[in-house]
Amino acid sequence: MLLYSLIFPIISLIAIVGIVLRYMKRKNSFTTVILWSIFWIFVSVFALFPNLSTSFASAFGITRGLDFVIILVFIILFYIALKLYFIVDKMQNDLNKIVKEVAIQNEITLDDEEE
Amino acid sequence: MEYEITAEDKNETYVVLPAYNEATRIQPVIEAIAEKGYNMVIVNDGSLDNTLDVILESKRKYPNRIHVYSLLINRGVGIATQTGFDAVLKYNPKYIVSMDSDGQHSADDLDNVIKPLVTGEAEAVIGVRPLKDMPFTRNFANSIMNLLTRIFYRVDVSDSQTGFRAITKGALNKISINATGYLISSEFIREINDNNIPFAEVPIETIYTPETQAKGTNVTVAIKILLQMIKHQF
Repeated sequence: MLLYSLIFPIISLIAIVGIVLRYMKRKNSFTTVILWSIFWIFVSVFALFPNLSTSFASAFGITRGLDFVIILVFIILFYIALKLYFIVDKMQNDLNKIVKEVAIQNEITLDDEEE
Repeated sequence: MEYEITAEDKNETYVVLPAYNEATRIQPVIEAIAEKGYNMVIVNDGSLDNTLDVILESKRKYPNRIHVYSLLINRGVGIATQTGFDAVLKYNPKYIVSMDSDGQHSADDLDNVIKPLVTGEAEAVIGVRPLKDMPFTRNFANSIMNLLTRIFYRVDVSDSQTGFRAITKGALNKISINATGYLISSEFIREINDNNIPFAEVPIETIYTPETQAKGTNVTVAIKILLQMIKHQF
């Protein structure tokens, strides 16, 4: 057994336990737990049975198992980056609305300064 | 005979001034506008220096001419101007002007800029800076921005990045500005065009100092505006 076959399942287990604990503290949603668990289970399975990735790869017309894993990781990272971009964009817009509204509701008078 | 702007016209005009870290420059701008008899809505854009104190110092001299608002944190010239455009409606103005607060625009141009609105010749005006007076890098960035405004927003203007603009209250209610940064200049022009608001270009004087050059449309800002224009297409 290669070293990575041992390390990746341990990392996956720690990650899944971490996500479940965060869920129990209500810091993330159940969907997040499911999606991340699926991701880490896949990582463990591929680490333990590297040949399995070749079967998955051939299903998508890719010859090498490693290529399939790399492409999959790229897709996931791209998805995460895009999702984060939309979240930040929405938060920026919300922040702009709040800051604008607070300013409009509070005209600064000379009395304010004297208080 | 050419129309002369009256005291009443000036009294019905509000100048929106967005200000970010302008403590050393804004006071002469505010006081020149107040001396001319115009009203102002000044928006402090979360400045880190004492811009707000300087504004309030001027307000003490002209308490009825100056209305002050302050954003809790810096959100950019677009948001500060939007705040000013929203707040100004409280005072029921007839004409609204927006100007830069760093001293690059002259209060002497205010009469000329609002004249087409008062005479009914136009409902929106953009103050056009003479390109020959512009430093080379600024001139180059502006030419590119004019071209991009033509491509993305299909409007042909001589100066798409001017911060000196005027609009009637009726026209302001028709347009919708969402830009946060310097894109506001092109967006203002696009909205005027899309809403079929008659507009005029008025030549204005621009005072370039090393300080005023540090802000505004340089090449980096131009690239940011381009990315925002592409984003707005979707």
